[in-house]
Amino acid sequence: MVDVQLSDAEKTYIIHGAQDNLREDGRGCEDYRHLEIETSVVSTTSGSAKIRLANTEILVGVKVELGETSPENPDKGRIEFFVDCSANATPEFEGRGGEDLANEISNMLARAYDCPSCLDMRKLCVVEGKKCWIVYVDVLLLECGGSLFDASSIAVKAALYNTSIPRLTVTHDEGHTELELSDDPYDVQRLDVYNSPCIVTLSKIGHSHVVDASQKEEACCLARLMLAVTDKGCVTAMKKEGSGSFDVSSIEDMLETGKKVGQSLNKSLMEVLVSEDRNMKKKYMTGYLR
Amino acid sequence: MAGIELLSDQGFRVDGRKANELRRIQCRLGVFTQADGSAYIEQGNTKILAAVYGPHEIRGSRSKALHDKVLVNCQYSMATFSTGERKRRPRGDRKSKEMTMHLQQTFDAAILTSLYPRSQIDIFVEVLQSDGGNYCASVNAATLALIDAGIPLKDYVCACSASFVNDKPIMDISYLEESSGGAELIVATLPKSEQIVFLEMNSRLHEDNLSHVLDMAVKGCKDIHDVLDQAVREHVGEVAAISGLE
Amino acid sequence: MAVDIRLASTCVRLKPESIDELTNLVTPGDVITSDTGFMRGHGTFMEDGKHHASVAGVVQRVNKLICVKPLKTRYNGEVGDIVVGRIIEVGMKRWKVDTHSKLDSVLMLSSVNLPGGELRRRSEEDEKLMRYYLKEGDLISAEVQSVFNDGSLSLHTRSLKYGKLGQGSLYLVSPSLIKRRKTHFHNLPCGVTVILGNNGYVWVCPTEGEVSEQTGGYEQNFEPVVRADREVVARIGNCVQSLADHRMMLFDTSILYTYEASLKFPVKDMMKPEVKTEVIDLARQRLERDGT
Repeated sequence: MVDVQLSDAEKTYIIHGAQDNLREDGRGCEDYRHLEIETSVVSTTSGSAKIRLANTEILVGVKVELGETSPENPDKGRIEFFVDCSANATPEFEGRGGEDLANEISNMLARAYDCPSCLDMRKLCVVEGKKCWIVYVDVLLLECGGSLFDASSIAVKAALYNTSIPRLTVTHDEGHTELELSDDPYDVQRLDVYNSPCIVTLSKIGHSHVVDASQKEEACCLARLMLAVTDKGCVTAMKKEGSGSFDVSSIEDMLETGKKVGQSLNKSLMEVLVSEDRNMKKKYMTGYLR
Repeated sequence: MAGIELLSDQGFRVDGRKANELRRIQCRLGVFTQADGSAYIEQGNTKILAAVYGPHEIRGSRSKALHDKVLVNCQYSMATFSTGERKRRPRGDRKSKEMTMHLQQTFDAAILTSLYPRSQIDIFVEVLQSDGGNYCASVNAATLALIDAGIPLKDYVCACSASFVNDKPIMDISYLEESSGGAELIVATLPKSEQIVFLEMNSRLHEDNLSHVLDMAVKGCKDIHDVLDQAVREHVGEVAAISGLE
Repeated sequence: MAVDIRLASTCVRLKPESIDELTNLVTPGDVITSDTGFMRGHGTFMEDGKHHASVAGVVQRVNKLICVKPLKTRYNGEVGDIVVGRIIEVGMKRWKVDTHSKLDSVLMLSSVNLPGGELRRRSEEDEKLMRYYLKEGDLISAEVQSVFNDGSLSLHTRSLKYGKLGQGSLYLVSPSLIKRRKTHFHNLPCGVTVILGNNGYVWVCPTEGEVSEQTGGYEQNFEPVVRADREVVARIGNCVQSLADHRMMLFDTSILYTYEASLKFPVKDMMKPEVKTEVIDLARQRLERDGT
């Protein structure tokens, strides 16, 4: 995590605030900050999304490439995650400074999506045992304002929703397989991300837990639990992080909250994405020019 | 050149521009809040974000500190999805290391470095989408970010590329024109004093034509300066109007 | 539980309708004057006997001195300024303090009031206890005592109103948004103390009783703050943040007006952009009516 230093008194103030269910910016423990989302922002990708959660800014680009199927899963495509912490976010990330955090985020994302019902990988298979689509999901972290895991997963889901894969026609001809790309650029296949998870991080502050922790709150938090929650409330991945420890009952509480928050997060995200799709035409100044 | 005609008989290029025309430039200052200065620029389909931190105390080893001037530290990186073919890593390759060095030299020449001894200025450039002229757009974006951070500069630094096609120089070349194998001249200037702070040429070009191409690139820098200056004036005017600065 | 996701295209950044072209606006490299009778101030440089601007901003002339003030920079300290800073290093007889300046500021052991308040010689004992008084991460309010040659600042806390800060929230804004006033300590009528550091660090905390003010802040109070106070602190904090986001000047009246305009919304709604804009607009109109 990106460190901010706090004095003991500030920490005390934040911890007591979490206990009172009234955080520094007036939110309750289970409230997310305001989130802005935009898709189709980078034209060199098959799908992209940019999100801003308070001061956290993330850009995700998805590229699909044809590749060889893996021997273990001959009938499936692949999804690969890569996270880059740009030095634009903080000078600490310069050079290899952001690599540890980047690996942590990409591992968590890979774990969250490593579940057959999240994304149907069989649809990405082109010729069984030979060719499949590989989906490269590249996350670029541009500004840090806390809750990086949650924000990344939301941006990834939005970018996957936005992704279009060209349609291929496969013809078999005397043992040769030929692939033909459709001439029509609008003849594409979309990914079904309805069941894809969003990560909800629950940070333990004092005796309570909060969602969407700000940078200051992250500095007060000794342990957090990350849950990847789908629209139906299924948890596809779970990870405890940090130097502190939990007892079993508090994990149960957090799981309860995480599922509830995760479901409503997924629901509002899908609503917004569907509505953007519908209003594709009325776009004015977008991206960073706005 | 087989295949595409880079400059038609009517004098139009592949994207419909005239030989001495820039791509459309759009930019914005103050994109981020945490950095001391930031800017975003679009030159045609090339999109770049720049952030500036500082001047601040030297980080890491204090031995890097210069006793008589500020240390200018740059980093150039490209998003892995910025190019047509996916890049394997965003920085650390030879190309981006070279870019980083070039940026450093360019801005060392433009920043009034003697004003802040013992401190450091960071310039970070992130290419979000690349369509040729990455170095030029990076320089232009970084200039805007430096202005946004209120760091004293001798002048704007504007960079522009030029090439030579069908016996004619062309300005601000795109990726397609860059990769066609013709000459590529990249120039960064201080437009008001017409000083050249960076010059690089790839591929070959007849000596007699060099001055034409160079003139074209320098003219491009001047045009870019006009666009950037307009944007800065609008930005400053707008902010001053809101906050009532006198 | 609340999740508020929107499309970026629905949140439009409003531009002011009419912008008067500022007459004395300059950008880097512009010639301000070729009259050599002027003195060169901040944001300018001499070349070929002409004064050039080195930053983008508005030209200011004071008698024969020409300056250009950029919209935002790091903090440029002046003697007598009130700052809020964070201790980043404890050294020999001095603390290093982050004040958002170009170089770290220094707080000498000899320029603090030690517990007890009275002025006495600093003993070796005090040197050993430095980390006990102020340690890394602690926040202080202080005054700029002097400016060194290289531009770094020396601070002092030799007054009971300065010293270590207790429970509350820190907000970071651009130093140019802090209006210079006679006092930067404000006890607002809603029960909140605001310290507007000239360096852009704004401290918001519940107003404390007279008792604790006497100690210089070394005795810290870790008792929970009551919920009502906490809510007001959060609201004032959100007001400070909204004003800064809209690039409005920060001073006691602007904060108070924003606070009063925000009262019809619940605190947590104040982070929504449309609420922010409405609240700021109301405050702005009221400020304009006042003619300030």
